[in-house]
Amino acid sequence: MIDPHTPDPIQYVGEDGTPVLALPERFTPALLRELHRDMLRAREFDRKLITLLRQGRTTFYAQSSGMEATQVGLARSLRAGHDWVWPYYRDHTLALSMGVPMYELISQCLGTNSDPCRGRQMPHHFASAALKFVSISSSIASQVPPAAGSAMAQKYLGTDEITVCTFGDGATSEGDWHAGMNMAGANQAPCLFVCENNQWAISTGVRQQTASATIHIKAQAYGMPGYYVDGNDIVAVMEVCAHAAERVRRGDGPALVECLTYRVGSHSNADADAEKQYRTREEVGVWLARDPILRLEKLLEHLGEPVSPEERAALIAQTHREVDQDVLRAEATGQPDWRIIFEDVYADLPSHLRDQAAALRAEQEGARA
Amino acid sequence: MTATQEKATPTPVGETRTINLIQAITEALAEELDRDHRVVLFGEDVGARGGVFMATAGLQARFGRERVFDTPLSEASIVGAAVGMAARGLRPVAEIQFADYMGPGFDQIISQAAKLRYRSGGQFTCPLVIRTPSGGGVKGGHHHSQSPEAYYTHTPGLKVVMPSTPYDAKGLLKAAIRGEDPVIYFEPKRLYRASKGEVPTHDYTVRIGEAAVRREGTDLSLIGYGGVMPDVERAAEALGAEGVSAEVIDLRSLVPWDQDAVVRSVQKTGRAVLVSEAPRIGNFMGEVAYVIQERAFDSLLAPVGQVAGFDTPYPYVQDRVYLPGPNRILAACVRALNH
Repeated sequence: MIDPHTPDPIQYVGEDGTPVLALPERFTPALLRELHRDMLRAREFDRKLITLLRQGRTTFYAQSSGMEATQVGLARSLRAGHDWVWPYYRDHTLALSMGVPMYELISQCLGTNSDPCRGRQMPHHFASAALKFVSISSSIASQVPPAAGSAMAQKYLGTDEITVCTFGDGATSEGDWHAGMNMAGANQAPCLFVCENNQWAISTGVRQQTASATIHIKAQAYGMPGYYVDGNDIVAVMEVCAHAAERVRRGDGPALVECLTYRVGSHSNADADAEKQYRTREEVGVWLARDPILRLEKLLEHLGEPVSPEERAALIAQTHREVDQDVLRAEATGQPDWRIIFEDVYADLPSHLRDQAAALRAEQEGARA
Repeated sequence: MTATQEKATPTPVGETRTINLIQAITEALAEELDRDHRVVLFGEDVGARGGVFMATAGLQARFGRERVFDTPLSEASIVGAAVGMAARGLRPVAEIQFADYMGPGFDQIISQAAKLRYRSGGQFTCPLVIRTPSGGGVKGGHHHSQSPEAYYTHTPGLKVVMPSTPYDAKGLLKAAIRGEDPVIYFEPKRLYRASKGEVPTHDYTVRIGEAAVRREGTDLSLIGYGGVMPDVERAAEALGAEGVSAEVIDLRSLVPWDQDAVVRSVQKTGRAVLVSEAPRIGNFMGEVAYVIQERAFDSLLAPVGQVAGFDTPYPYVQDRVYLPGPNRILAACVRALNH
């Protein structure tokens, strides 16, 4: 039984890789290796995308390095392609783990013709209808009330999908967060809220964000359990998220999980240098030592199933090759032309947009002539 | 100049009966709930109470609490939940108690509802309707009387409508519910019971984006929408008594709006007076004036006149003075005619 509202984060694997609670049976070495692969893949995806950024092939990137256990663990607790996800903008590891093809994510970051979002959004704001991964908005916490509505629709439609809504710690200060949490609570909507508390909203630390000791205790105010978990311990994340998701799925109302983790990189490329001004090297150092991938490697070592340096290097090389191939493949599709400006604003093109599109077409054709 | 008195489009065909505007809204909601199980109705006090204006009276008793229900007092929740439901395939019709209260839901409207289709490359859609009473004339002070439609007409991705007759109220609401886009449906609350008219007994819709010519004329085009329409028609009648033939156009839809109907009319009459009750700066009618000068400049015999609310918060006392009544409309017409 996993208790909500615990004062300290629930942990299964200590920072030195030793289990502090008995590992549940399902965490076989084979599963742990799969999780390791998924986390390492996401980490390397981050690295490669930052390289693309430096090469000027994309313009924005928000890395999730350090948060892999939270996102991979959450993804593994859901039914991918069955449950609905209303994510936030730092969720590419979650997306990859739920099965969104790397090619689609890269295409979205590059704004190519292969981008399912058709080059409409800034990089890193993808959507996948096939995987019920709903479009990301930059407007913080604005996905929370829709997630409540999505779950309410779910209840009305009467199937066993659940809705998952993710956000950072900063989002919990927004009115929309409280509105959405309250709406879901009041309607007992099957929604799992997951706070990826990485402790920084750009340069505003969580202590400036709230006087509340933790985020998870706020769940009580909305009539739902709030779980507190070590977000760098993938076993703990999976156990707690699976428990909370199951509770939501069987109709016991919404739940909140707070995963205490850390963004070891900058907020985005926009504050890559400024980042040093708002937090200390010591603080980052402490969290680098708590690295979720490292911790899982230590656990595997403890279990007598170490990941060899060759294995690790091969996995990294394979991810780099995959990203490189997908980038070239995506770039080869070219960029969407001017028409994308006018399409998908409405179901059908109204006459004023027809007129504006015609004027732009003439301008474009004139420019080519 | 000769005055023409006949009423122009639309004339309901077939069997009709006379109802008021709010009855038309209730009927539209009931019929759509009946027609499509995906339609759900919610907002603050819409359930047992039937809404503060009784627009949803009796619907919870008839369709059940699953389909017609009260929500927490939170516009962000109401609009946001509608976005989530729409993305999941329902047809949510959300009520915001007064248009003046839409502020807390504004981000949900402009960041989520208006953009979900576009930003997802058409992978997700957002067919919802937000109904909300708007406009003045009910002694409500500024938080029960404002006309915020321009904020929403400025947001691509939204459709914005405002009926002034029971026929249009019912037909536009049905079209909004059946459509594939988010629609902000403003209800001119001072006409809820004051506007009566014939409505067909059979099912029909009014296409969003088509204006109605209420009265044909040759000397001047009077163009308005929503709560001002009875005063616009009164002004046209007064002009008729003086031998001036005014054409009256009710825009009905602001996004998209019927540019052709307006341009055609101004090309015929050579003069236009635009009437709305929203504050003047950034008023939607500024866009109408722009299109008239762009597309009918050569036909214009006078500058385009505009009668609007003042650029002040809406006052509690003197609210009828704030509104552009027949006298102010007539004065603008006289200026146009004497130019």
